[in-house]
Amino acid sequence: MSKELVIISGKGGTGKTTLTSSLAYVMKDKIIVDADADAANMYILTSPKLKHKELFKGNPKAVIDVNKCVNCDLCRKLCRFDAIHINPDGNYYVDEVKCDSCELCKIACPAEAITMKEVYSGEWYESETPFGLMVHAKLYPGAENSGNLVTMVKHRAHVISEEQDIPYILVDGSPGIGCPVISTISGANFVVVVSEPTPAGLHDLERVKRLCDSFKVKSGVVVNKYDLNEEKTRQIEEFAKKEGMEVLGRIPFDECVPKAIVNLQIPYEACESVKRAVDEIYARVMEKL
Amino acid sequence: MKLMITAKGDKLESTVDERYGRGECFIIYDTDSGEFEAIRNPFLNNQGGVGVSTAQFSVEKKVDAIISGSYGPNALEILRAAQLELYKAQPGTVKENIELFKEGKLERF
Repeated sequence: MSKELVIISGKGGTGKTTLTSSLAYVMKDKIIVDADADAANMYILTSPKLKHKELFKGNPKAVIDVNKCVNCDLCRKLCRFDAIHINPDGNYYVDEVKCDSCELCKIACPAEAITMKEVYSGEWYESETPFGLMVHAKLYPGAENSGNLVTMVKHRAHVISEEQDIPYILVDGSPGIGCPVISTISGANFVVVVSEPTPAGLHDLERVKRLCDSFKVKSGVVVNKYDLNEEKTRQIEEFAKKEGMEVLGRIPFDECVPKAIVNLQIPYEACESVKRAVDEIYARVMEKL
Repeated sequence: MKLMITAKGDKLESTVDERYGRGECFIIYDTDSGEFEAIRNPFLNNQGGVGVSTAQFSVEKKVDAIISGSYGPNALEILRAAQLELYKAQPGTVKENIELFKEGKLERF
C-alpha cells in the first residue's frame, strides 16, 4: 500500500501551491494528485502531457417536460435556489447552474413533468509530468469540486501506484474544511497544513486541525512567509505544539516566488530561499510518513 | 451482535476499506450466526453528504458496531449520537478484522 501525503491550507492563498509544487520537484517515486480542481494550479505549473482522459458526472439536474407541465407554478415557488424560470414562450425551464439537485420540484410536481437528468461536470486525466505521473481534473464552467471527484482521482492514483509499485502519493488539497477537503484527508497517512502569519491563518489552522483530529490523522504545520509577522508565526507554532502537531518548518517571504510562478517555474527550482526551506521540510515529512 | 465493516469487495476475504462514507462495500456480519450480507455502497457516487448518508444507513441497519479505517466529522456526530461502537480497522481482510474484534484486539476509535 502506497503512503499518502496530503497538503492542505485551511485558508486560501497561504502558499499551498508553492509548497506542493516544490515537494513534487524533490520527492521521488510518487504519483501527484491535484485534488484542488477549483484552482488546478499543479496543472499550470507542471505542464503535463495528457495520456488518458475520462468524463465524470456531477449531480443530476432537474428538467421540465413542457408537454406535461400544467403551469401550476408550484416548482418555481418552492425552489430554494431560484433555479426555475419561465421563458418568453411561457414555458417553465431549469437553470442548470443554479439547480442544486435537491429534487424538491420533482417530488412536488403534480403532473410528474420533472425528471432528473445525468450531466457531465468535467473531465479527469492521467498525465505525464517532468516530476512523475499526475492524476488531475478539469471542471466545466459552473461546476464545482466535490468529495466524489476527489475520491475518484485519489482512487485512480492508488490503482496506478499498486500496478506500478510506486510508494508515495502526493495530494494537493483544496482550501477550506468542506466536502472536498474531508474526502482529501480521508485515507491520508500524513497531512501538512500550510499556514501564514495572520489572524486568519491561525484561525483556519485551528479549524483544519479539528478536521484532522476527527479522522485521527497525524498532521504538521509549515508557516509560509513567516518573517512578515514573526510574533504571529510564534503563536501558530505554539498552537501546533500544544495540539500535538509537528512544526515542520518555515518558508521566508521572497519576491522571487510570485515572479517564478508567473514564469511557470517551480519556486523550489527558481528561489534559493524556498529550496533551503523545502529541503528541511521534506526531510522532516519523510520521517513522519 | 451485528457488525458493519467497510470493504473493497463483497466477500469476507475482501480487503477492508479505510474510508467509511465512501467505502466501496458494506459487509453486515452477524457474530452469533456467522452469516453476512454484502451491500454495494449506494452513496458512493453522490457529490456530497455521503458521511451522513452512510451513518444513517448504519443506524437503519441496526448494527451494534462498525469497523472502518477512519470516520469523517459529519458521520461521527451521528454515529456518536446513535451510540454505536466504532473500531479502527487493521490493514487486512474483513475476516481478519472480525477475528481481531472477537478477540477484543481492535482499538476503539
